[in-house]
Amino acid sequence: MLRLIRTTGPIVTILAALSIAQAAEVKIGTLYPITGGGAIYGSPAMIGHRMAIDELNSQGGILGMQVVSVERDTKLNPATAAAAAKEMITKDGVNVIIGGLSSAVGLAISEVAKQEKVIYIATIPKTIQMTTNRRHDYVFRTASHTDFEGDAIAQIAKQLGAQKICDIQLDYAYGHDLADGIERGLKRHLPDAKKVLDLRPKLRATDYNVFITQIMGAGCDVVTSGLWGPHFVDFAKQASPFGLFQQIKYITGGEIGSQEIAGAMGEDYPDNVWANSYELWYHHSTQEHKNFQEALAKRLDTIETPMWPVLALIGVRMYGAAAEKAGSLDAASISDALKGMSIDTPVGPRTIDPETHQADTGQFWGPMVKKEGVPYRVMDPITYIPAKIIE
Amino acid sequence: MTDAMTRSAMAGCLISLALLISVPLFQSAYLIDVVTEILIYALFALSLNVIIGYSGNVSFGHAAYFAIGGYTNAILLTSHGWALVPSFVTSILVTMIAAGFVAYFCTRLTNIYFAMLTLAFSMLVWAIAFKWRSVTGGDDGFVGIRVPEIINNRAHFYYFTLIMVTAATTLLWFICHSAFGRTLVAVRENATRAGFVGVNTRLMRWWAFVVAGTFAGIAGAIFGMFHRGMYVESAFWTQSATVLIMTLLGGMFSFFGPAIGAATLFILERITNEYTEYWPTVLGCILLVILLFLPDGLAGLARKVRSYVAGSN
Repeated sequence: MLRLIRTTGPIVTILAALSIAQAAEVKIGTLYPITGGGAIYGSPAMIGHRMAIDELNSQGGILGMQVVSVERDTKLNPATAAAAAKEMITKDGVNVIIGGLSSAVGLAISEVAKQEKVIYIATIPKTIQMTTNRRHDYVFRTASHTDFEGDAIAQIAKQLGAQKICDIQLDYAYGHDLADGIERGLKRHLPDAKKVLDLRPKLRATDYNVFITQIMGAGCDVVTSGLWGPHFVDFAKQASPFGLFQQIKYITGGEIGSQEIAGAMGEDYPDNVWANSYELWYHHSTQEHKNFQEALAKRLDTIETPMWPVLALIGVRMYGAAAEKAGSLDAASISDALKGMSIDTPVGPRTIDPETHQADTGQFWGPMVKKEGVPYRVMDPITYIPAKIIE
Repeated sequence: MTDAMTRSAMAGCLISLALLISVPLFQSAYLIDVVTEILIYALFALSLNVIIGYSGNVSFGHAAYFAIGGYTNAILLTSHGWALVPSFVTSILVTMIAAGFVAYFCTRLTNIYFAMLTLAFSMLVWAIAFKWRSVTGGDDGFVGIRVPEIINNRAHFYYFTLIMVTAATTLLWFICHSAFGRTLVAVRENATRAGFVGVNTRLMRWWAFVVAGTFAGIAGAIFGMFHRGMYVESAFWTQSATVLIMTLLGGMFSFFGPAIGAATLFILERITNEYTEYWPTVLGCILLVILLFLPDGLAGLARKVRSYVAGSN
């Protein structure tokens, strides 16, 4: 008996120590597309996510516990994202899910979070549904949303004196909700403008020729759009030879002003584009932004840093702050803590509305122009349009 | 006991069932979820095998019936607030009617023409699911399916799935081993000769198609409730290709082969995705191995190993 105790004693001690060590960590699950078309936004976001994890750990973790990142690829597919979210919760035991890219993916992850009672912080998906008719106790958003973005597009359309508008949006939640947001924005800012064309290419579409000819023939003076990432790149490359951007002004959401797009397109980036971005590496609105951008530049070994890391970083910081405020990792307590939560970020302070679970995230907007000696377009002048809708 | 099922096979089934019943006792949410999904895919693959293994036709559009079952059940449960039983039964009936309609056209053709027509119909279903946004949710999917309280619990849902899949598999087994099933095999082996002895081969193939579609609909209805969502990818040709590979991997000339194929492929995908994003490459390699070295699938391989061992003894 004594021999048995002697033999098993150390094993039990090691196992107990291991289980304590395992428990003493916070697992943050993250979902971004890191392969396929969405990777142009998802991969930089993942870098920001890792930066935030390192930042938290260098400050002693969350509630004194080490923070571990559990990462999965969504492939920009809601079904894949939902399955991965479920697996991260049931297999890896993550305490929170942060991320998502595309509104369809965001809604799918949100549904899993609701089912499993795990906090989900949407850092990129913008569909208004997430914080209105599909809001629940466990979903919060640090990204902007389609009503804010649509209102900003309408404000710019007013500045440009738009009269006839063609709208082209992707055929999924973000596109439909942004179209509605623009419609409402136009009623507020430019009630006399007339929408003459509504187009809905499919998400992940690559051929836009049929839509381009329709726009060219519709007689509109402004195109409003939410074609993002690779969709805009393909659209612009196919539309430029037709002279679309010479004839019609193009106002676009979907962060087409970001360095990811401007840098990737270089000389191919068209004229007459008014675009948005959450962050611009060359625009230091705060000292914290300067520090953050330098750290990111060092990590990526380039001065021209992408925009998406800051969004992922804000999501992780928001969770860390809420967990500290709640004093526990219990999802219900963190949900309470997130309501009204305020944090400082490299792009200014962010506060989550306790009613809607939506952060007051505005964006930088402006025309994308050529600059002497710069091989890509930059936004100039830059205007920050806050997350506020004035009726 | 019938002559088709040996005692050892029966014992294997009972042991498998006992193991499946005990899954929730391990108290692992992940294990329960994985096995639930394997059960659903197993039924899906078994249903396809009625067309491939028994009637000898290749369908490239079986996902259509999976999606019809899933979406119908989702819409009735959630948008119309129906109770589980009428919703589930109606979704099965709707799938059966849809399969019967498509089969009417498809069974007029054979070989590659049959395969292409099944693909065309399935893409039609996909297009409807994609474009009919107000009803199906379009590209966003039909998210937030309402699941009745009685099965709105992981273990309860698991047992619900186990009961449904076991019942459906048993029914399929009887269908495939009945006179109807044997006649289908005769049609598969030599349709002309079967026709000469008085078999209405087209009608037999029509029924095989309807049976396969109906059981795929059951799998789809359970799948939607399990994920609390149906997505257009469920109707896409890639889903049809996946279930086809499951069937080939397990072995189309064995009744339980496709279920083994479904479990193997599903687990392989899970493991591969943890280490690399190149699952499609792995899937391609699996398909190559099956076609070149394992034409009878894993069930055929097991048979060969068994006869080899028996021979050496």
